[in-house]
Amino acid sequence: MKMQNLPPKLQEIVDDFAGMSREEKLETLIGYAETFPLLPEWLKERRDNMEPVPECMTPVFLFAEQLPDGGVHFHLDIPAQSPTVRGLASILANGLNGSTPEEIIAVPGDFFLPMNLQEAVSQQRLNGFIGVLAHMKKEAVKLLEK
Amino acid sequence: MSYVHPEYLVETEWVAQNLDNPDVRIIESDEDPLLYALGHIPGAVQVDWFSTLQHPLRRDFLTKEKFEEVASKIGITNDTTVVFYGDKSNWFACYALWLFQYYGHQNVRIMNGGRLKWEKENRPLVKDVPSYPETTYRAKEADKSIRAFRDEVLQQSNTKKPLVDVRSPKEYSGELISMPNYPQEGATRGGHIPSAVSIPWAQAVNEADSTFKSPDELRALYEGKGVKSDGEVIAYCRIGERSSLTWFVLKYLLGYPKVKNYDGSWTEWGNLVDAPIEK
Repeated sequence: MKMQNLPPKLQEIVDDFAGMSREEKLETLIGYAETFPLLPEWLKERRDNMEPVPECMTPVFLFAEQLPDGGVHFHLDIPAQSPTVRGLASILANGLNGSTPEEIIAVPGDFFLPMNLQEAVSQQRLNGFIGVLAHMKKEAVKLLEK
Repeated sequence: MSYVHPEYLVETEWVAQNLDNPDVRIIESDEDPLLYALGHIPGAVQVDWFSTLQHPLRRDFLTKEKFEEVASKIGITNDTTVVFYGDKSNWFACYALWLFQYYGHQNVRIMNGGRLKWEKENRPLVKDVPSYPETTYRAKEADKSIRAFRDEVLQQSNTKKPLVDVRSPKEYSGELISMPNYPQEGATRGGHIPSAVSIPWAQAVNEADSTFKSPDELRALYEGKGVKSDGEVIAYCRIGERSSLTWFVLKYLLGYPKVKNYDGSWTEWGNLVDAPIEK
């Protein structure tokens, strides 16, 4: 299923997941969790200024950095004890990093339905995933307003 | 004073000494199901509360036959000592233990402190998924004496017998309809079941290492709120997971003879037409 308005990297991730079995989805999520980037030093001191995502059951913080070319880079801080949340948030960051704020805002809220994530994770995790996306968009709006 | 049934609790050191014991099976049950894949106690198998223990269609647990399949696959017999551990202060480990008891497995233990304590003690975690020779496990008929349904809960409330609401204070008061940070697993009404007292589940564990509080502390906690060992006690939360930890504490650590877990919990009660609610 092809959706409009998805940044190419995100589209690629959606297509990959759409063709995976439940086990492959879990393995891929584990891969994302294992390669979850640590918060860069310069952001550690600013941890309190990061945007909390209250929809997640795990404390999730995100920070949107705008690069000189206009693309956005999301930094995330999520505890290692919550690999599923790390994995899901990483999907979003990997799919959206490099996109412009406009492109991020244009991502449909239900873009992930073809991925069939509910095969692999429970509904409350998906709610957290939706919450992280909503906050990424909110940050993109803030960057536009700057 | 000691726990009334200390045999239902094992320490991390005991588990470390029994990793190769063929009569022992270690089961990890987590709130975050990916934790097992990233590293678990050597020889431990995973039982996930969400993908393994639920009925695929109805709001219920897996059937007895499915439970037998699960138990056979992890190679346990009716005599195997099954030790549960997990993240979040053994919250889902207690849930899995409760369900194993529901289908009649008697020989169960909780590893005190769960994943957190094991990790803090720098004990080994491995990624190898073990396999055990399959058995032919025969479960018993579901033991309804540890599971409360809504009619019994109404009866309990009407007769002013103790109900323990283990949710957060704001859920009890009705300010919040679902748990902080768990949206949508909610109910259309907020509040609590009349006659229920509020004793949040986490008060039963030590925050530093996830171990259970001492017998004296636990007794003071529950008796202090009027939840005594005589008569029947029903614990509930949102979907019955947090309250299974409270159920374990009351039944085994404090030895209350009649304790039930109401797994319908607030997501049933707060949606039930005509059910009495207090705020």
